[in-house]
Amino acid sequence: MKKMMLMMLAVAALLPAMGQEVEVISQRRLLEGVEGPAYYPVLNQEGNRLLFSTEDGALKMYDMTDNVTVLVADGYVAGNDACWGGDGKVYFVTQRVGEDHLVYRTGRSYDVATRQSTQLVEEQHGAVRAVPATRGGALKSPVRNYNSGIDIGSAAWTEGSRVHVTVGGEERVFSPVDSWAGYLWASLSPDGKRLAFFAAGKGIVVIDLRGQVTAMLGNYEMPCWYNNEYIVAQNAKDDGHQFTSSQIVLLKSDGTWQTELTKSASMAMQPTCGGGRIVYTTIDGLLYEMKINIYQ
Amino acid sequence: MKKLLLQSMMTMLLAVLAVNVATAQQPHVYINPGHGGYDSDDRNMVIYPFTQGDSAGSWESKSNLRKGLALREILQKKGYKTSISRVTNTTADDLALSTIVALCNQSGADVFYSIHSNATGTSAVNNFPMVFYRGYTGSPQVANADVLAADLEPYLYASQTTVWTHNYQIWGDWSFRPEWGTQGYGVLRGNRAVANLSEGSFHDYIPEAYRLLGLQYCWMEGWNISLGADKYFDRLDQYDLGVISGNVRDDRIKRLQENPQPFIVYGDDNLMPIHNATVRLLDQNGNEVQRTMTDTLRNGIYTFKYVVPGTYTVEVSEPSHFSQTADVIVSANAATYQNFYLKRVRDTPPVVVEYSPVWQEGDPAVKCSERIVLAFNWDMDSVTTCGAFRLDPPVEGTFRWEDSYYRLIFTPVDAFDVNTLYTLTLGKSAEHGGGTPMEEDFTVQFCTQPRNHLNELAVFPYEGAQVHYTKPTVELRVDSLLDTYNLFNRLRVLDSEGNELSWNKRSIKYNKNGDDYGFVRIPLTKDIEPGKDYHLILDVDIADTAGIHLPAARVINFTGVDAGAGKPGMELVEGFEDANDYAIEDFLEEQATMTLTTSTDRLFGSKSLQMAYDFADGSKFFVARLDGAWPQRFTKGDTLGIHVCGDMGYNQLSACFANGSDKVVVPLCLIDFHGWRYVSVALDALSPDHDYGFSGFKLSRAHELMGKTGTIKLDNMLRGESSGINEARLANMQLAVNGDYIVVSADTWVQGVELLDVNGRHIKAAGGNCLNVAGVDPGIYIVHVHINGSTATEKIRL
Repeated sequence: MKKMMLMMLAVAALLPAMGQEVEVISQRRLLEGVEGPAYYPVLNQEGNRLLFSTEDGALKMYDMTDNVTVLVADGYVAGNDACWGGDGKVYFVTQRVGEDHLVYRTGRSYDVATRQSTQLVEEQHGAVRAVPATRGGALKSPVRNYNSGIDIGSAAWTEGSRVHVTVGGEERVFSPVDSWAGYLWASLSPDGKRLAFFAAGKGIVVIDLRGQVTAMLGNYEMPCWYNNEYIVAQNAKDDGHQFTSSQIVLLKSDGTWQTELTKSASMAMQPTCGGGRIVYTTIDGLLYEMKINIYQ
Repeated sequence: MKKLLLQSMMTMLLAVLAVNVATAQQPHVYINPGHGGYDSDDRNMVIYPFTQGDSAGSWESKSNLRKGLALREILQKKGYKTSISRVTNTTADDLALSTIVALCNQSGADVFYSIHSNATGTSAVNNFPMVFYRGYTGSPQVANADVLAADLEPYLYASQTTVWTHNYQIWGDWSFRPEWGTQGYGVLRGNRAVANLSEGSFHDYIPEAYRLLGLQYCWMEGWNISLGADKYFDRLDQYDLGVISGNVRDDRIKRLQENPQPFIVYGDDNLMPIHNATVRLLDQNGNEVQRTMTDTLRNGIYTFKYVVPGTYTVEVSEPSHFSQTADVIVSANAATYQNFYLKRVRDTPPVVVEYSPVWQEGDPAVKCSERIVLAFNWDMDSVTTCGAFRLDPPVEGTFRWEDSYYRLIFTPVDAFDVNTLYTLTLGKSAEHGGGTPMEEDFTVQFCTQPRNHLNELAVFPYEGAQVHYTKPTVELRVDSLLDTYNLFNRLRVLDSEGNELSWNKRSIKYNKNGDDYGFVRIPLTKDIEPGKDYHLILDVDIADTAGIHLPAARVINFTGVDAGAGKPGMELVEGFEDANDYAIEDFLEEQATMTLTTSTDRLFGSKSLQMAYDFADGSKFFVARLDGAWPQRFTKGDTLGIHVCGDMGYNQLSACFANGSDKVVVPLCLIDFHGWRYVSVALDALSPDHDYGFSGFKLSRAHELMGKTGTIKLDNMLRGESSGINEARLANMQLAVNGDYIVVSADTWVQGVELLDVNGRHIKAAGGNCLNVAGVDPGIYIVHVHINGSTATEKIRL
């Protein structure tokens, strides 16, 4: 643990010393001694609330303002791919293996204020996915889609080798690069003008809202917008069985610059951004919060 | 019209609903063929004829993909929805583990199979299926992942086209890899499907690596995984076609060991897979239903896919073998296995096509260690061929077959007799593998050389030797240059509990061309323990470069001692700390050299005296003597003790005493040992009329072959006053010649007895208190008796 902190601080110290454009101004462990291993962290837009998954797959929320952690849902895998809606609610999916051994999934939301969970999409076989939107949230499923309102604002999600973008009630579908296995991890820039997603075999792709590729950022995963210009992502390597290295990187969204925020040996992964904060976890489920300054 | 439209709309609506219901109940399987591309992490097994990195060779990434594509094809035929992470084998397809998991999660799959093959990564060779799920064994993180695994493994293990070494295994990855904590396998982390990682077999089992090259074998693993999925989803009765698969092998010809290194094979994998065999599936009317061929990839696999259930005949034919048929019953959604063992077509009688030794009157005689080799035109039947083998005069020996019964090797248990004319006959009753005998007897003769065994010149430790415990060294000397290949494996040192001590192979010394005799000298890696017994074992197959071996294996017992242990009653008279106190006497013969220096290899103080010598031809001795006056005087009956580090030069070391013109040379020891030893002698040869000064040492060459050059060292010389009794005497030693034996008795344990002639030459020695002297010429001899690290010297008459 000490070794990892030292490694991270070394990176933090190194960057300004080398006169680079990024300074790590703070780095701290979250929920140390309070929670067990935590994975799939998701910050809200303001960066003051954090969703994460426990080792058992339960979904929890950490209110960084009040320093309080609450259980959102304890259904297994509820903590995977949960998201914050623009309305401040949590949108997530639970699942159950049926007697017929098919997997049945249910779409839900969680109201932080009332701490109430509501079923929005009934249990069904097949993929049910939570999608964040600037004014609310959505749940996509083969049987029925759910939108939190008539106008949920802008939203983006992937399906196969297609990326869907909804802006002002209009849905556009793009396949700007070939990717046999498919697209993942669609993320809209805060100003809603560009979209980053991951194309398997190609890496992170940035497009505008007309579907034109503006940049290819390299073979990184899990992109999230730090601000309108920079993207934070995961750079993990493996041997086909287990991870051999993993780090958090900062990428300029036009593809002209990149740097590492943690060393590859830090085994840091699954970054999320919000309100100027970066939160990530490690392979053994330790949560960290990082703040940076980017000098232009 | 309206009614018609309404009816049409209702029909379409029902059709859409039906599709939706079917889709809703359609199991969705996500397939992940593990790895991808031909890179360093894609598990390339180098097997003949492929070289390292050859994409045509054995790659786990390639066979995983073939299995995955087969599984996708089969599951789609069975009505499953499928997703797959790759369909080609390129580096770009080798998706990151997080990506694969996210793709599976996004797909909404019910189950996930990551398809791999295994490797021990060690010299151990195994072949069995394994499957992993996330969590501890019996406690999966995703419900039912253990059930999915349990439903899969029996179908993989049911395969009879491979050779399994162990039963299948099912593990939670946290239990299997506890050192990884809860990290587990990357494709199982965060995977929301009911997920398994299947290691279908071991690709570092070489015959399996060849099978995994075959499309049909990989397809069968895909089929078997599909049966696991059917079992899991209770759909075994929902598919109405079956498969037949099997292996076509020769019934007795051995698989070729074509790889650079011999590889381990188990069971039927010992038999040669048959290439290009035509395999036909015939219905009950004899009509051909399907036809396939075995490939040329050394696996002999055939498979008939998607067969309607029923009774069939499988017919296998290949021009060099007799055809075979087998009736099989195919069941719906099940695998039927039928292996074939074809008999070769052998259409001529067997004959000996080559043999050795080849000898005829007037040729040089044959070595007594020579093996008899008979090569045949066909693979032979072992029982009738060995039964027809006769030697006159008879020789006891063993038979061994090579090259799949094409070559018979007869090796004498010991060696052929010397100077003997042997007649070898292979009677015509010898048959080939198809049962046809030879048409006539085969007869040859050969005559043997006059030497049939390797003779031992010397060995250390010898029987009963006491070996100083530090840096113990073993040396064997024989009368011919040794074959040094793997020689260190034919000498072993065991402790009293049977544990083998390891050799320091870096320091091993062997004979080389031009040496006067053969030898091997090897230090042990670690010290031995004083007071403990050890055994040096010389294997019978220690042989010279002509293959002549020892007459028999030998077990030589020796004991560890501390040569530097305290010597009660003895006073130090010389520490040998300064070589300048000694000089070479000037009557050295021309050409001979000796260098006197000090050495840090010592038992006491900081130095020892080192004597490096080179006897020139005809040289008989050197003398190193004390320079200057020395106050110590010796009288008759005193005991002289000295610590000697020997070089096994078989030279005689003596101490010299003088009083004016009265010079006495007292034999100390024959240097027949390596390492340090304490030697003590009674100075009974001194005159009782006056005392003596110590004047130096005499080193005499005592063996015509050994000890021409070498180095010995001396440390602390001790004197026991004449009034004292040496330790052997204190032990109340008694010595007697009893028939053929010298027998020593004492109050304590006698470690060994050594017989020397009056010139101090070693005659023979034995451990314990008895020495067999039968056959020793009558005369006066010196006996050294070793007791508690000391040596008593007695004269006896035989």
